[in-house]
Amino acid sequence: MSLVLLLLAPLVEAAACGLLRSRRWMERVSLISAAINLALAVRLVQNVARFQSVSAFDGFLYADALSALVVLLTAFVSFVCAIYAVGYFRTDLERGSITLRRLKEYYILTPLFVFALFLVALANNLGIMWVAIEGSTLASVLLIAFYNQKTSLEAAWKYIIIGSMGISMALFGTLLTYYAASHVVGTESIEGLNWTRLMLAASSLNPKALRLAFLFILMGYGTKAGIAPMHTWKPDSYSEAPAPSAAILAAAVLNCALYGILRFHILASRCLGPEFSSGLLLWFGLGSLLIATPFILVQTNFRRLLAYSSIDHTGIMLVGFGVGGSLGPFGALLHMFYHAITKPLLFFCAGNVQQQFGTATFRKVGGVIHLMPVTAVLFLAGTLAVTGTPPAGLFQSELTVLSASVQGRSLWIASIFVGCVVTIFAGFLYHVGHLALGAPRIGMNRTAESWWRLLPMLLIAALTLLFGFWLPSPLLRLIQQAGQIVGGAR
Amino acid sequence: MSYDSVELGHRLITLMAAAMLVVQMLLVGQRLLPTVIALFSLQSFFLACLAAAVAYVNQAHHVYIAAGLTLLLKVIVMPLLLRRIIRQTDTQEEVEGYLNTPASILICGGLTLLGYLVAHPFSQSQGHSHGSLAVATALFLIGFFLMMNRRKAISQVVALLTAENGLFLAAIALTYGMPLIVEVGILFDLLVGVMILGILTYRIAETFESMDTSKLRRLRG
Repeated sequence: MSLVLLLLAPLVEAAACGLLRSRRWMERVSLISAAINLALAVRLVQNVARFQSVSAFDGFLYADALSALVVLLTAFVSFVCAIYAVGYFRTDLERGSITLRRLKEYYILTPLFVFALFLVALANNLGIMWVAIEGSTLASVLLIAFYNQKTSLEAAWKYIIIGSMGISMALFGTLLTYYAASHVVGTESIEGLNWTRLMLAASSLNPKALRLAFLFILMGYGTKAGIAPMHTWKPDSYSEAPAPSAAILAAAVLNCALYGILRFHILASRCLGPEFSSGLLLWFGLGSLLIATPFILVQTNFRRLLAYSSIDHTGIMLVGFGVGGSLGPFGALLHMFYHAITKPLLFFCAGNVQQQFGTATFRKVGGVIHLMPVTAVLFLAGTLAVTGTPPAGLFQSELTVLSASVQGRSLWIASIFVGCVVTIFAGFLYHVGHLALGAPRIGMNRTAESWWRLLPMLLIAALTLLFGFWLPSPLLRLIQQAGQIVGGAR
Repeated sequence: MSYDSVELGHRLITLMAAAMLVVQMLLVGQRLLPTVIALFSLQSFFLACLAAAVAYVNQAHHVYIAAGLTLLLKVIVMPLLLRRIIRQTDTQEEVEGYLNTPASILICGGLTLLGYLVAHPFSQSQGHSHGSLAVATALFLIGFFLMMNRRKAISQVVALLTAENGLFLAAIALTYGMPLIVEVGILFDLLVGVMILGILTYRIAETFESMDTSKLRRLRG
C-alpha cells in the first residue's frame, strides 16, 4: 500500500498545484506533500526491514532494500528542496526575474519529476524503469530552461539531446536483455522484463546478448548519471537550473541512474560472473575521477564546480561497486547515502550567493562571510564535508571504498583514488575559501538571510554532523542489506 | 495459415525494412524541413506496416496494437506537431551540415555495413528477421550520425525519432516487440518528448532569432 501511496502523492500534488492560483497555497501544498513523501519513504524502509521485499499490483511494483534506500534519499532531497524553494523563489519573484506563471510551472513539474524518480526505484519491470528514467529527463528539461536565458536554453537543449541519445542506448540495452531472456521467459507476458523474474532465470540467459546489453545500459544510464566521458551536459545543467532543481538533479537523479545500472550489474554478475560488469564499472569510475580532478582545479564558476564534484563522487561510487568484495558495494552505497544528504547544502549555499551577487563566477564574488555569515560558514563546512574531511560521513565511506580497493585489487587503484580525492580536496577548499573569506565587494551591504533558506541548510548540516558520528541502526542495516543485494548476489 | 501466406509475410517484412533504410538515406541528403518531416512520416508508415506483417505472420496479436499506435502517433500526430513548430518559427530550410552531403552519404553507407556486421552474430537464431535487425542497427547509427551532423533543432529532433524507429524495428525483429505496457510507455515518452522539444525549439528560435543549434556555444569548461 505504501508503494502506491508513494507514487500517488506527487501526482496529486502536481494536479493540485495546477489548479491553485496563489503562491502561498502552492508553497503549502508542496511542503505538505514533501513531508508526506518522506514519511511514506520511512514507512517503506520499515516494511522492507521487516519483510525483505514489498510488492504491489501482482509484482508490478517491487521494492527491496536497494530501492528503499534510493526512495528514501529521493524523498529526503525533495523535502529539503521544497523548504528551500520557498525562500529562493520569493526572492526571484520580488526581483521580477520570474513571473507567477513560471513559478507555477516549477510547482507542477517538480512533483512530476519526483514521481518519475520514485517510479524508477519501484518499478519491477525494467522497461517501465526505462520509461520512468526518460520521464524524469522530460520533467526536468523545462526546469533547466526555467530562467529562459540564452545560456539556460542552451543547457536545456544539450541536456535533452545528449540525454535522449543516451537513453535510447539504454533502451537498446533493455531490449537486448529482453532478448537474452526471451527463450526462458517467453515474449507474450508483461513479466518477461520483470527484474524478479529475470533474476530467477539469470543463469540461463543468453550470455552474448547480455554482455552487449550491459555495455549499452552502462553507456545509456551512465549518460544520465554523468559518468565521464558522457558527463558533458552536467556542468551546463547544474549551473543553469534553479538551485533547488539542480540539487535534485545532483543528489537524487544521480542515485536513480546508478540504481538503473546496478540492477543490470547484479543481473550480469549472476549470469556472466562478476568480472565483466565490475571491471567496466571500475574503469569508468576511475575515468570519472581522473577527468573531474583537473576541471575542479581550474574551475571559474562555482555552480559548475559543484557539477564536477558530482562527477567525482559518481566516480567514487563506481570504484566502490567495481572493486566489489564484501566491502566495496557497502562502501559505495554508504557514499551514495552521505552524498545525497550533504550535497543539497552546497547547492543551497551556492544559490544564496548567486542570487546575492547576480553571478556564479568566482572572480566577481568575495567576502561572503561579511555579507551572509551563516551561508559562508555553512558553505565552508559543506565543502569540508563533501570533500571527505572527518568527522563527516563521506570520510568514512571514502575510507571504506579505499580499504575495499586495497583489499580486493592491486595498490595502484587505491593510489589513483587517493591522489584524486586529495587533489580535489585542495582545489575545492581553495576556491570556496576565496569565495567565503577575503574582502567584501564594495557597495554591498549585509543582507538578512531568511529562515526559509537557513532552516533546510541547518537541518542538513546537523544531519551531516550527526550521521558522521552515529548512523542509526535501521539505516545502517538498510545500507548493509542493499550492499548484500548488489555484492552478495553472486 | 498456409505456407504461401507466411512466405509472403516474410517478403513483405524484408521489403518494408529495405524501404525504411532507403527513406533514411533520402533523409541524409534532404535539406527542406517540410520534406524531412514528410520522409519521417513515410518511414514510420513503413514501420507500422512491418509491425502489422510481423503480427500476422507470428500470430502475435499485441503487436497489432503497437502497429496501430505507431500509425497514429508517428505517422500522424508527431509530424503535425513538428509542422506546427516550423510554421511558428518560420524556418523552411536546413543549412549545410558540418559535413557536406556526399561525405555524409558515404559515411552512412559505412554505417549500414557496420549495422550488418553487428547484427550478424544474432542472425543464426533468428532466421528470417536477420535483414530487419541489420536495418534496425543501421537506422539507429545513421540517426545518431544525423543528430550530430545537423544544425537546425528540428532536424535533430527528426534524426532522434528515426533512431527511435530503428530501436522499434529491432524490438520487433528480436522479440516481436516489447511487452505492450512498455511499448505504450515508450510511445508516451516519445510524444511528450516531441512536445517538450517543440516548446524548447520555439523558445530557442525566439531568443536567438534562429533555430541553428551551432549558435548554442556559450557554456564551456
